[in-house]
This record gives sequence, structure tokens and C-alpha cells, in this order.
Amino acid sequence: MPRPKRKAAVPTRSSDADSSARPEPKKPRGNQFNRIDQLFESYVNKTLGLIDPEGIEALCNDVNVNHTDVRMLIFAWKMKAEKQGYFSKDEWRRGLKCLGADTRPKLKKAIEGLDKELKVPECFEDFYSYAFQYCLTEEKQRSVDIETICELLNIVLKSEFPNQVNLLVEYLKVQNDYRALNMDQWRSFYRFFKEVDFHDLENYDSSQAWTVIIDNFVEWLKEKEKN
Amino acid sequence: MSSQKKRTFQIEAFKHRVVVDPKYAEKTWKVLEHAIHEIYNHNASGLSFEELYRNAYNMVLHKFGEKLYSGLVTTMTSHLKEISQSIESAQGEIFLEELNRKWIDHNKALQMIRDILMYMDRTFIPSSHKTPVHELGLNLWRDVVIHSSKTQARLRDTLLELVLRERNGEVINRGLMRNIIKMLMDLGLSVYQEDFEKHFLSVSANFYCLESQKFIETCDCGDYLKKAERRLNEEIERVSHYLDPRSEIKITNVVEKEMIDSHMHTLVHMENSGLVNMLVDDKYEDLGRMYSLFRRVPTGLTVVKDVMTAFVRDTGKQLVMDPERLRDPVDFVQRLLDLKDKYDKIINMSFTNDKTFQNALNSSFEHFINLNARSPEFISLFVDDKLRRGLKGVGEEDVEIVLDKVMMLFRYLQEKDVFEKYYKQHLAKRLLSGKTISDDAERSLIVKLKTECGYQFTSKLEGMFTDMKTSYDTMQGFYASQSDVGDSPSLVVHVLTTGSWPTQPSPQCNLPSELLGVCEKFRAYYLGTHNGRRLSWQTNMGTADLKATFGKGQKHELNVSTYQMCVLMLFNNADRLTCKEIEQATGIPLLDLKRCLQSLACVKGKNVLRKEPMSKDIAEDDTFFFNDKFTSKFFKVKIGTVVAQRESEPENLETRQRVEEDRKPQIEAAIVRIMKSRRTLDHNNIVAEVTKQLQSRFLPNPVVIKKRIESLIEREFLERDRVDRKLYRYLA
Repeated sequence: MPRPKRKAAVPTRSSDADSSARPEPKKPRGNQFNRIDQLFESYVNKTLGLIDPEGIEALCNDVNVNHTDVRMLIFAWKMKAEKQGYFSKDEWRRGLKCLGADTRPKLKKAIEGLDKELKVPECFEDFYSYAFQYCLTEEKQRSVDIETICELLNIVLKSEFPNQVNLLVEYLKVQNDYRALNMDQWRSFYRFFKEVDFHDLENYDSSQAWTVIIDNFVEWLKEKEKN
Repeated sequence: MSSQKKRTFQIEAFKHRVVVDPKYAEKTWKVLEHAIHEIYNHNASGLSFEELYRNAYNMVLHKFGEKLYSGLVTTMTSHLKEISQSIESAQGEIFLEELNRKWIDHNKALQMIRDILMYMDRTFIPSSHKTPVHELGLNLWRDVVIHSSKTQARLRDTLLELVLRERNGEVINRGLMRNIIKMLMDLGLSVYQEDFEKHFLSVSANFYCLESQKFIETCDCGDYLKKAERRLNEEIERVSHYLDPRSEIKITNVVEKEMIDSHMHTLVHMENSGLVNMLVDDKYEDLGRMYSLFRRVPTGLTVVKDVMTAFVRDTGKQLVMDPERLRDPVDFVQRLLDLKDKYDKIINMSFTNDKTFQNALNSSFEHFINLNARSPEFISLFVDDKLRRGLKGVGEEDVEIVLDKVMMLFRYLQEKDVFEKYYKQHLAKRLLSGKTISDDAERSLIVKLKTECGYQFTSKLEGMFTDMKTSYDTMQGFYASQSDVGDSPSLVVHVLTTGSWPTQPSPQCNLPSELLGVCEKFRAYYLGTHNGRRLSWQTNMGTADLKATFGKGQKHELNVSTYQMCVLMLFNNADRLTCKEIEQATGIPLLDLKRCLQSLACVKGKNVLRKEPMSKDIAEDDTFFFNDKFTSKFFKVKIGTVVAQRESEPENLETRQRVEEDRKPQIEAAIVRIMKSRRTLDHNNIVAEVTKQLQSRFLPNPVVIKKRIESLIEREFLERDRVDRKLYRYLA
């Protein structure tokens, strides 16, 4: 006897009971979405309707990844999270769907392997810019303070350019032309590391359109090399 | 009669049986041959031209032209051989004379012969393509006489020797030379060139090579040039007297090459007498000579110009970098003007106002004036000095001359905006202290600046003048409206429009009570007639005249600044005051107060206050006393410091910083303007365009431009292209 076709069960969606929850368009979803939402619920701050830093901390524990680990940042990027320290439901859904994870073990495995996501150059550049953006916490904020920049450099670029990152961080801490940097300058760092060989600084041309901070960095490097 | 046929008449040609005498040709020729002999022997008078002509005519007519021609050739040749021998045997001096005489004879003979043989010349010769008689005669002369093995070389050597002797100062027979040379020319240009000119030029080259070598070793530059010029003129004269005109350019080229071109650098750099010495000593004649001689050789003037340029640059550089010179700005500028005048005169008097030299001079000035960053300030101080007292009593035209010279220096400045800043400050001081000698001169300079730099440069300056005038009218109105003047001090107010004047805002100090009344009255009056305005007293800028009575009753009128007045008035009510007390009472900022107290107590001849301790520095608890014992020769004593002075180092730094700050928005405006019209542009092009747009005011630093671009990127006026980081895009 042929098995009756099992239709995808239409879950009776329990709409979020939280008063400040964001209104959701009611669409029929599969089980996967259901599970993703449930995962969201397990970390959510009920009053805010968002996963807050505490929730993120819990998540980090569950997946056994430190919250300063680059993979958490990549995770946020996958989600296109707007506000640092908070994940909204849409962002959560986006991220987990992207990772193809709907259970905690799958999520753990996915996050553990996130650093492999950056092998493609276009992806990395997008992520790199996102990392800066993510630090702009205030509205209309355009620059990020040097301390944070240094941390960010360590997180994002150190694996690929260990020497260069060390030197640049050293320089940024020593210089006092700038107390904060903008996106254009941030982007120029990665380009600089990619395109310029630190052993061949004589060919560096400061009349080209490198940012002024890069020009100054090169000067500082040359001085350092002399001594 | 029987019928007669009409017969056409035929007239037959007259058949005259001419007996052609077989010996006819020979006989006729003999006649002509004999005639030729006679002609050459100067016996032509006995000949009948008509008969000879007829004979020649008949020969040709009867087809004996060939015989006639060849006979002519033979006969003439044999005569010329004789002539040639007689010339060859002529001794010494006579050689040329003999040659000349024989040549003249030959020409006469040739003419007669040609006349006789004219029919042949016109008919037989063209049709048989033979050389015409006259030309034949010349060719034979050339081949037989001139190019005879003995004569050819001798002629050449004789001519060259005569030239040499003439060059060495002897007088030679120029007429004879001319005739001989003309003979060579008549024989054909190639004869002249091959037999004479070619050798003449090469011998001359040697001659001048040696001579120039000798001169270089023994003469100084000026003398050498004189000699060279003389030789050149000699050669030109020689050509005009006895050579072919076309030789002139060739021989002058030789002289130029040997005497000038070969020794150009030695001459220019000759120690103690070279170009630099001539420039230093204003040797106009020598310089003029050098110019006209060097002009003749390629790169000659370039060498002169380059050496002059380098020297001017060096002199100028020393002038502007000399620390001694920098103490006196007016002197500094005057020396620059003197330097320019000196070289203008040299270019005018000696270099025929040559434009390339003018340009080189201008670029040199532009180069070294900008080596000293204080040049703009100094030029403004120079103008200040002139307009304050230097041009007193000078006629209108002369004033214009001085101002035009100032404008000329102004044009050389790269940092015109710095000049503008100082000029404004100095002008403000002049206007406010009433110390300008001529309003017309001030305005004339403003007009010149406007013509040079445009309306924006001078609009504020003109505003300052307007304010002065308006203030005058306001004062008139004020006093007219005051019925009771009473004992209050007379007040003169200048109302300055903020923004036009280079005022430094500073808090108002506490004015003495004697003044408060009239000041309030003025404020009320002004605000009454001008609605919606705000007035604030600029106590750091005013002046006051005080009547002071000292210990022994000596009265003086003290001309002081407002601050100084506030301080002094305190002593009407107190005998002694400490610095701190004065500060509290007057509210004058401490740094200004210290300067003020120094000027009242520490300057000899102006010490209306006494200070304890007597040191030059002012400490907070130093005590001040009214100086009873003050004396001065003058009734009016000026203590105020309102005269424009060269800035101290820290002030200079401050002004520089303000200028840099002012430049930032100008650079940004230029960038935005350019990007708005171009939409996308790469980095190097932006820098070039911005520099071009701003060059009439200052030279922007490429690093500063880059920083401004980055700032504009941050503020989202521009964006950097994602792929090509050198490309910028305008964001609407």
C-alpha cells in the first residue's frame, strides 16, 4: 500500500509572546526554519527580542569558541549583523540559513570551520570592510579609535600577515597624527599589505594615491630599518 | 599679226656667276688674322672696322665659319701664350701689375674681336653649339694664363700674402687687389672659389686660430673682445673693398669660429675679467661687446645667459639667506630692488633688452625670493615704511614708480596669501594711527593689487578704507548731536566692520572712569542710528593722548596705547601699585600687560613709570611708581607701540599656522570644484589641477592636498574607486 504522501507539516507558529518583538510576516516555513527560530529563542533576551551580549556569551560557550575569536566576527558578517553585540531574529535566520545549520551541534561545527570561509579574495575584502563597519557603534560615527583598530588588525589580518600586522600596530601606537581612522584608511591597510613588499620599500611611491597614514608608516619603517 | 599667246613674265634670278676663289677663304682669314695680331699689338687704329666685319661676314656666309672659328682659337691661344710667358717672367711686385695690365688689354682686344666677329657670334656659333667669342676669350685666358703651372700657384700665394701683410698692419694696393679679384670673378664663380676663396678661408682660419691663442694667453676678457671685434670689422671691410660680397659671411664665420666659438668658455669664465666681473662692475660697453659677438655663434648667448643666471641666483640666494640682512626688512627689500635695477640696466644697455635674458632674470628672482619664507612679510613692511614716511614729499609719478617696483616683487612671490595677511595687518595699523602719508598712494597700490589678483584679494582692503571714511562721518554726526561737551575727554572712534579688519578678538579691559561717560554716549548714539548692530570696544588697538605733569611741574603730552592709558590713569589715585594690582584693576591680559609695563618703565627716555626692582623682566609683585623725575627734550612723547614691526619668531610661527589653516578650505573648495565638473579623476591629475587653480595665491603642498582629499572622502563628498584606488569619484 503506497504510503500516503506526507505533506510538510505546517507548524502552528507560536508568535513571540514578547511585547517588544518585531512583527513577523507570517509565511509557511519548513521544519528547518522552526528549529532555527527555536535556537534563536534559546539565546534571546526576552525583553529586547534580540540576542544580547549575554546571549552571545552563552552561544560562545556552547560552540566552544571565544567571543574575541575571528570566527565570531565572521559569523556576524554572515548574518550581516548591524549592531555590535546584538543579533536580531532576521540576522540570526540569515546567518544560520547561510551556514546550513539548524541544530546546536551543526551550528557548533559550522562556526568552528568559519575561518575557511575567507579563502576567496572577494569574500575576504567584503568581510574586511564589514569588520570596520561593525565597530561603528554610534549613529553618524565615521571613525574608529586606534586601540580598537589595533585589536581588529590582530583579529582579522594577523594570520595572513603576521609580521606586517605587528609593525603596523607598533606604529599606530607610537604615532600621534591620528587618534581614530576612517574606512578609507582601514581599507588601505589591507591593500598595502597585499601590494607592497616590506623588503622593497625603496620602490614605494608616496606621490601615488596611498593614504597619508600609509605614507607616514612607510617613512617610519624606513627610519626603523636604518637604525 | 597672228594671234600671240600671252606669255607670263618670268623674272629670273640674277645668276651672277660668283667665281668662288678657292683661295678666298684663306685670303679672307689672313686679313682677319692679321687684324687680330694688330689688335693685340695695340695697333688697332689703322684697321677698318667695316672691312673686317664684312670679311668675317662673308666667311660665315660662304660656309667658312668653322675655319674662322678655329683660326680664332688658334690665334688667340698663341697670343695668350706669349702673354702668359711675359707674366710668368715678371719679378716680385710687378707680377700682379703685369697680370692686371695684360688682363685689361685682353679685354679690350676681346671686345674688338667680338665686334668684328659679331655675325659669326650670332649665327654660326649658336647653330654649331660652339662657345661664343667673349666667353671663349675668357676661357682661354683662364686656361692659358691663369692656370699655367707657374702662374696658378704664384697668383694665389701672392694674393694671400698681401692679405696677410694687410692683416699685419701694412697698407697694400687695394685697387690692384680689387681688379685681380674681379678678374677671377669674371672668369667664373668656380674660378674665384677654387683659385682664391677656398685658400683664403683656410689660411685665415689658421691665422686666426694662432692669433686667438696668443690673445687668450695675454689679454684679459675685455681686451680680447675688443680685438676680436676689430678683426671682425676689418674682415668685413676687406670684403667690401676688394672681395666678392658673398665671401663676407664665409670669412666672418671663420673669424667667429676661431676667435669666439673656440674660446667661449675660457672667456666667460676668465678670472678677474670674465662675465661675472663685468656684471659686478657694470661694464656696460664690454658686456655689450660680448653680447654682440657671442650672438654670432650658435649657443653663444646661451652660455652668457646661463652664467648670468647662475650668478644672479647665487647673489640673490646669499642676499635672502644672510642673517644680517634679515634684521632690517626695509633694507632687505631695498637691496632686492637694487639688484633688479642693476640687472635691468645691464640687460637694457648691453643686451638690447633681449627677452630671453629678461625671462632668465625673472625666473632667477622668482627662485631665490621664495627661498626665504619671510619675503612676503618683508615686502609688506617695505611698503609700510614707504607709505608711512619714505615717500613723503615725493612727486606722484615717482610714487607710482616705487609702487610698480613693489608690484614687480610681489609677482615673484609664491605665497601671495601670506603677503595679503601681513599687508592687511600693516594697513590696519597705518589707517588707525593715521600715519599714512598719502591716501592716493594707498589706493593706487590697492588698484594695482586688484588688477593683479582679482577683486577678492582687495575687497576687504577696500572695506577698511570705507570704514575709515564712514567713521569720520559718524564722528561728525556724533559731535553735532552732543549739546554739552563739558570736560569729558574728546573721543575719536573708528568703527571697524568685523571681517574686513585683521582684528584679534580680545576681551575689553577696564577703561578709566573718566572715559566711561563719553564712551557710553557714543555707543548710544551709534546704536540709535544703526539698528541691529553690535559694538565691542577693541581696547587692544586704540591710542590716547595724556596730559601729564611731573615732579618739577614739567608738562608733557604723552601719546600712548589704550592699555598704557589705563595703567597710567591708575596712578592718579595711587602712588604705588604692583603688577598684580594693576592686572586686577585694568583687566588687561597678563602677557600684554607685561609688554605694556615694560614699555612704560624700562625704556630709556620713555620711563614715565619707575619700577622696583630695576630688572627688565616683569614679575607679579614688582612695584611701580609714577616717575616724578621723568624728563624729555620733547613736549610730546610717544610711547605707544603701534608701528608695524617685523614679527618675533613665535608671532611668525603663529601667523604661519593661521595661513596654513586658511589654506585648507581653499584647497578643499578647489578639489570640490574640480571633481564636480570632472566627475571622476585620478590622484595625480587632481593634484596638478588644484595646484594650477591656486597658483595665483600660493603653492599647495601635495601632502596637504592628499589629506584634504581623505577628509572629503570621510565626509562623503568623494569616494575612492573600489577597483582602481588611484581614482576618485564625486558624490552628488
